[in-house]
Formats: sequence, C-alpha cells, structure tokens
Amino acid sequence: MIENAYQLIVYVLTLLGVYEWIYGIFQSFGIDYVLQIIIVFVEIVILFAFVLVTVMFLTWMERKVVAMVQSRYGPMVTGPRGLLQPVMDGVKLIGKEDIIPAKADRWIFTLAPFIVFIPALLVFIPLPFGKSLIISDLRVGLLYIIAISAMSPVALLLAGWASNNKYSLMGAMRAVAQDISYTIPLALTAIAVVMFTGSLSTVDIVNAQGGTWFGIIPKWFIFIQPLGFILFLIASIAEMGRIPFDFQESESELVAGFFTEYSGMKFAMFFLAEYAHLFAVSGIIVTLFLGGWEGPALPFIPVQLTSLVIFLIKTYAVIFFAMWLRDTVPRVRIDQLLNLGWKIMVPLAVLNLLLTGFIVVAGVI
Amino acid sequence: METEELLLNMGPVHPSTHGVLRFKLRMDGEIIKECNIVMGYLHRGTEKLGEMKTYLQFTPYTDRLDYISAFPNNYAYAKAIEELAGIEVPLRAEYIRVLTMELNRIINHLVFMGSLLMDLGAATMIMWGFREREKALQLFEMLCGARMTFNYIKPGGVRDDLPDGFIPKLNEFLKDMEKRIDDYEQLINENEIFLMRMKNIGVISAQEAINYGLTGPALRGSGVSYDIRKLEPYSIYPDLDFKVCVQSEGDSFARYMVRVDEMRESLHILRQVVDTMPEAKIVAQAKYGIAPMTGMPSAVSTYFPRIFAPPAGEVYSRIEAPKGELGFYIVSDGTTKPYRVKIRSPSFCNLTAIPRMVVGLKIPDLIAAFGTIDVVLGDVDR
Amino acid sequence: MNAAEELKRLLPNAVVSTGIQINKPLAVIRKEELLKVAEDVKEMGFDHLSVITGIDYTDRFEVVYNFFSYGKKQNLVLKVILGHDNPEIDSLTTFWKGADWLERETYDLVGIRFTGHPNLTRILLPEGWIGHPLRKDYDMKTEQFVMLGEDGEDVVSTDGSKLLRRK
Repeated sequence: MIENAYQLIVYVLTLLGVYEWIYGIFQSFGIDYVLQIIIVFVEIVILFAFVLVTVMFLTWMERKVVAMVQSRYGPMVTGPRGLLQPVMDGVKLIGKEDIIPAKADRWIFTLAPFIVFIPALLVFIPLPFGKSLIISDLRVGLLYIIAISAMSPVALLLAGWASNNKYSLMGAMRAVAQDISYTIPLALTAIAVVMFTGSLSTVDIVNAQGGTWFGIIPKWFIFIQPLGFILFLIASIAEMGRIPFDFQESESELVAGFFTEYSGMKFAMFFLAEYAHLFAVSGIIVTLFLGGWEGPALPFIPVQLTSLVIFLIKTYAVIFFAMWLRDTVPRVRIDQLLNLGWKIMVPLAVLNLLLTGFIVVAGVI
Repeated sequence: METEELLLNMGPVHPSTHGVLRFKLRMDGEIIKECNIVMGYLHRGTEKLGEMKTYLQFTPYTDRLDYISAFPNNYAYAKAIEELAGIEVPLRAEYIRVLTMELNRIINHLVFMGSLLMDLGAATMIMWGFREREKALQLFEMLCGARMTFNYIKPGGVRDDLPDGFIPKLNEFLKDMEKRIDDYEQLINENEIFLMRMKNIGVISAQEAINYGLTGPALRGSGVSYDIRKLEPYSIYPDLDFKVCVQSEGDSFARYMVRVDEMRESLHILRQVVDTMPEAKIVAQAKYGIAPMTGMPSAVSTYFPRIFAPPAGEVYSRIEAPKGELGFYIVSDGTTKPYRVKIRSPSFCNLTAIPRMVVGLKIPDLIAAFGTIDVVLGDVDR
Repeated sequence: MNAAEELKRLLPNAVVSTGIQINKPLAVIRKEELLKVAEDVKEMGFDHLSVITGIDYTDRFEVVYNFFSYGKKQNLVLKVILGHDNPEIDSLTTFWKGADWLERETYDLVGIRFTGHPNLTRILLPEGWIGHPLRKDYDMKTEQFVMLGEDGEDVVSTDGSKLLRRK
C-alpha cells in the first residue's frame, strides 16, 4: 500500500528496476539515509515547482477571468492568449529597483516577505493532491494546516510595522484583526468535519467521503454540512484576503495596505504568497467538503493520475468562484467585517458544531 | 486604554482622491476625528487667464475645468456672454447644445458610477461604464473632432451642424444604453455589500445641504427638489418633458440613485430632442457681422468673430451641469477681453460639505461619501 | 416689488441703491451694515449663496454676493464697495456655511480680508505666496516656485535655481 509521495517515488523507481541498484550503491558506503534525504529533497523541488507554476498560471487566470467579466480580452500579446504574461511580469519585477525606505526597519523589512511565503508553502505538506500524492500524511494534518495559516498575520504585521508607513501599519492591523476573527469560525467548522471522521488526518477525511448515497449523491461533507461549508467558504475568503474581504490590501483606501512600500522581488514574494495561499485554501475546502480527490476511477490509467486531475478540477472550480466573486462585489467595511465575524459567524459555527454533535451521537449518518 | 491620535495625509497622491486632492485627517484608530481638505495642486489660474484672453479665446479653457463633462462648461460660458450681449441663438443650435449636454450628463454619471464602485473595491463597473462612454465619445468625435475637450459650443451658436449619420448612431446608442442601465442596476443596486456600504453613510439633511451650498445630485439626494433647468429655464428645456430626480434620505445611496435616475431622464430628453430637432440648418447667430452658418463643413467655423466686444456690464449666469450649479460671473468693460471672469464650479462648492459629512466615520466611509459627491479636480482647483 | 426694493424698504440705511443686473435684482450695500443685511436676506428666504466674487477696479474693490431662494425661486445680487487700501469686510460664514471656502478663495485670489472668518487662510495657492493673482496690479514677472518643505508643507520661494528646469 502506497501512502505518500515518498513511497510513490520509491515504487516508481522499483518499477523501473533502478531502486535496488541505487540503494545498493548508497548502502555500500553505509549512508542509505542520504538517499532518503535526496528523495525528500526531490519531493520538495517538485512541490516548489508545482506551486510556482500554479501561481503563475493563477495570475494569468485571474486576469483572464476579470477580463471575461468586464468584457475585455486581458493579456493577449505575450505568448498564446497571453500565457507568458506571468513570466514577463516576473522578469520585470526582478529588474525593478529594490527600494528600502530610509526610515524602515531594514532587517524586518527584508525578512517579512520570506516569512509570508514560508507558511504559504508549508500548508501544502499535508494537502492530499491525489491518492497517495501527499508529502506527509500527518496525524494532526488539519490542526497543522490551521496552525500554519495562523502564522501569516505575524508576517503581515512585521511587514506593516517595518515599513514605517501609516498606511502599511493600518493595513497590517486590519489584516491581524481580520485573521484572528476569522480563524475561529474556520477552526470551529473544521472541527465539525472532524467529528464525523474521528481523525485529523487529511487522508482519512478524504477517504471518509468516498462512495455514494443511493448510488448518485457522493458522500461529500458539503451535503451533510451545508451550513458548515458556507461558513468555511466565507471564512476562507477572509483568510485569503480577497475581495470582499481584502482589508490587508484595500487599495482604494490604504494605497496598497501592508506592502505599500515594497517593490521588485519583495513585492513579488507577497504576490506569490497570496496566490499560493489562494490555491492552498481552495485545496483545503475541496479536501474538507468537496470529497478531495474522490471521484470516478478510469480503467488503465493509474489512480494517482485520475485522482490528481479530479482534485485539480475541483480546486480550480473553487478558485474560479473566488475570482468571480472578486469581480462582482465591492469590499465591505472593516468594522462590518468584524461584526460579521464575531456576531454572526462564530455563533453560527458553534450552532453547527452542536447540530453535528447531535447527528453524530444519534448516529443518523 | 491610552491611544494616540494619528495624523494621516490622504493624498495628494492616493488612488481614491480622484486626482490631486489631499485630506489631512486626524484619526483615532480608523475613526476620523477631523478632516481638513488641502487643494490647489491643479490650480492653473483659469480666472486670471480669462482676463487676458479675448472672449472666444477663453472657450477652450472652460473645457479644462470639468474635463469629464466639458460641453456644459462651454455652454455655461457661452450662455453668460449671450446674456451679457443679448445674443439670440438659432433654435437648431440650442437643440444641438442640449443634445450634447445631456449626452455629456450620461457619460459623466457613467464615470461617476465607475469610479465610485472602483473606490468601493469592485472594478467591473468602471470597465462597463467606459465601454458605453467610449461610444458616446465616438459620437462627440464625429461632432467636433475631439473626445474630451470640445470647444464646440460658442457664444452665438455651435461650431458646426450635426454631421451625416450622427442621428442614426445616436439612436443606436440610446437604444443600447436603456438596456445597459438596467444591467448596471442589477449589478450594483441588488448587491447587499454595496447597500451596506452606502446606506446611512455621509448623511446630510436638506437644511444643512442648502446651507453648505451643495448643488446638483448631491442636493437632490437630500430631498430638495431643485433643478436649474426647471427653476430658471434656459435653452429649450422649457419645451422638454422631464422630471427632477429626487431622493429623500440624504445619504450616499440617495446621491447615487439620483444619478442613476438622471441617466434615464437624460435618455428621455435626448429622445425628445432627436424627434423634434428643427430642420433649418442655421447653427450660429449672424449678429456682430458673423455670416450665418448653414450646415457647411467645419472650415466655416472661422466665421465666428475672432474679436468681439459685448457691452459693458456684469452678469451671473448659471446652468445645471452634471455635477451641480455651474455659474460664470463675467464683468465686461466694453473691451474685447473680459474684465473679470469668476467661475462658480460645482465641485469646489460641493466639496465644502465633506468635512461635515465624514467626521466620526471611518476611512472607507470617507471614500464612499467623497465618491458620491463626484468632484473633478480640474473643476475644484481651476 | 423685487427683492432688492424690499430689502431697501426693510433697511433703508443699509441699502445705497437698487437696480437690475440682467434679470436679477441688485442692491448695493453699505459695508458696515452687511451683517444686518445678511440676517434679513436670510430671513427673506434666500437660503442659497451661489457665489462670492471679488473684483478689483484699481480704485476700489467690489464684492458681489449672488443669492437664490429655493422657496421663492428668486435671485438677489448684493454688492458691497470697498476702498482700495486694505479691503476688509464682514464674513458671512455664520449665516451660510458654504461661504467659508468662497470667502477663502476670494481672500486668496483677490486679497479681500473677511473679518470673523474662522480660518481665513489661502486655499488654492500655498501659504506664503506673494501677492493676490486676480488683482490688476499683480506682479506677473516674478516667478514663484513651490517646493516641499521638511515637514511636508509647501514652501514658496522666488529662487528657482535649485529646481530641475527645462530651459
């Protein structure tokens, strides 16, 4: 039984008939742990490449979706249908002058973009991209994801504070207030899901959603937890910091929020983190409520591949929804957002938890 | 808890000050305690220029006041001179003037809607609005070759007759626009977040609004049924059937709704103008030695007098521009140049009420309220 | 009887003369009586102060107030004549809040001082600008440059040598 990506790589190498040979070489030197490290390293490189390509694709997709809604074309010049636009953007951003304001806190100012990017990458570790396509099936996977997501406001606060700019500071304060008030309903609704599965492992959660009722309706948690799904979706959009909840940025009020003073590659890091986060959170929504990679299997094609495709389709559907939302609605006001979070979302999440408790205890499903 | 007050300089370079305007805000956290407005970054001395140019030379400068809606500026200036000199304007010219001004009112409100929604964080409306605006701009281009600064309405008439094919294209635009306004309303008015942001924000009562000198949609949004087109009818407005759009709440949403309704009314006016346009092709007054214009190509525009001197006197003439009361106070000493040109610009006077509206609110509300006042900085700073 | 004549009947001492300024009743007011007149004008229903215009006639200044009454749908023009040296006039901000900026603008560009104005500072031009541009004797030969000072406020100077300029 292949459980994670490490074993998958070993399995593929074994199938090719080279694993024993390579392993033998390392063993003859008595350093077989080095092989393990190399394989893990390969995993990370693949993940990193995947995230970067995804982010680039997402920036292109965002522009195209916006353009579609606004009856424009969007990027069309660089590459077919403007597909190479993100590459051009990257080249441009690398070429930009790296400005550090004279009165900024140099070290924190430089450090903040990286601190933003790291949690955005770490979230991917327990995220199941497909059957056995997971870096590590942590037993506390869901807790880990929520904990790592809660790190990002720290980085935003660092960025906002170090910039020594009033707009940046206000943007950072808003981001922190927003993250704190939305992590709670997020966690509470996630717990409701966990009550069904009895496990925090993301793989277990996905497995629990396999199969169908009456042969038609898939056993996704969205059908058992409709309220939980809506709450989780709203809270996730607030977590991602996208319109209508993009307070950390809110360009028409705070210029550019916490990254007002950033330029060049540091700015690009925030951008990367934002889109990586968008993908990760969409993936989590899919995992928790939309059945993850569960779906019809096709003959002759390895289940890893079909499940990956199914997972990506679902994730992009969620991402498309987020982009669509961005083009349609204005931004709410920060105090309205906090009111919504504390006065409506949290009580509803608790209520949802209570109902779930009844259902689980009664053993209805 | 001890907190410190924050002095925030919003502008002159800021995405939602619609140009180079600066708010000096004293803030307690996110709440505005005091709002001071600093302006003049776009001051070009238009009034001084008016004293140094001849009467006709000054017309292009009026285009640059409120550059979003330049036809009413042209017209207000021309009207002041016509009143001063007692010039009668041919009927067809008046029809063309009203046509251009109402078309301009529509695109002014489109830009208003777009930029307001942009300030609130929804970028779609500005693209939709500019799509329709583009069609209107193409009509203007057909008319006078310019898209934003027209210099088309001159004292005594208009520069040219309507070009061939203008009316069919206009009809097409009117038909299209009808549907588009419904689209906008569907996109915006039914949006809960939009209502949340606009209702009960920046409320100003009718009494106060008058006291602060608010005019235009900003005043009508406070429930004052006023419209200079009705109160002091000018041009062909007395012959046209239209109603004054009023909302009673006095909040940002009321000011927004007034403008949406006004777009419909303008469409209604335009349809009437197109239907009843007189056939006689005379578009400029033959007084002061000007040859009568008979719908000839644009070379004829040279028949407008380079130099003419209205009799000595003073006049204050005002019109209902898209943004409010636009007035010109002109003092003539009988020479070829005005002795004094004073411009009463709607943006400048409407802006007075902003500090009163926003104290106690938050920055996002300031932006929403400021957006619904609809100023153009060229008009504020002159 | 138009509004100007009615005003004359109410305050015979304050009104110097009445007339018509192209369809609008005009009353020339004694400078000292302006506040009293303003009070009466407001009571007569002229709730909208359209515009305040300051005009420099080289030997005198004139300040023109254009009023409109939304209730009566009438116009009224008030005119006050001031001496050319040190022109001063009472502020109307207590009656019409809209007068605030209009008076500041008149002070800024024409140089008429409004006594009793809560914040009579320049509005369109930066503080420290030399002269009032709409006066006929304004010196247009001297160039003035606006630069950003240490504390972010505008600084005006006639020395442009430090500026990057296209010759």
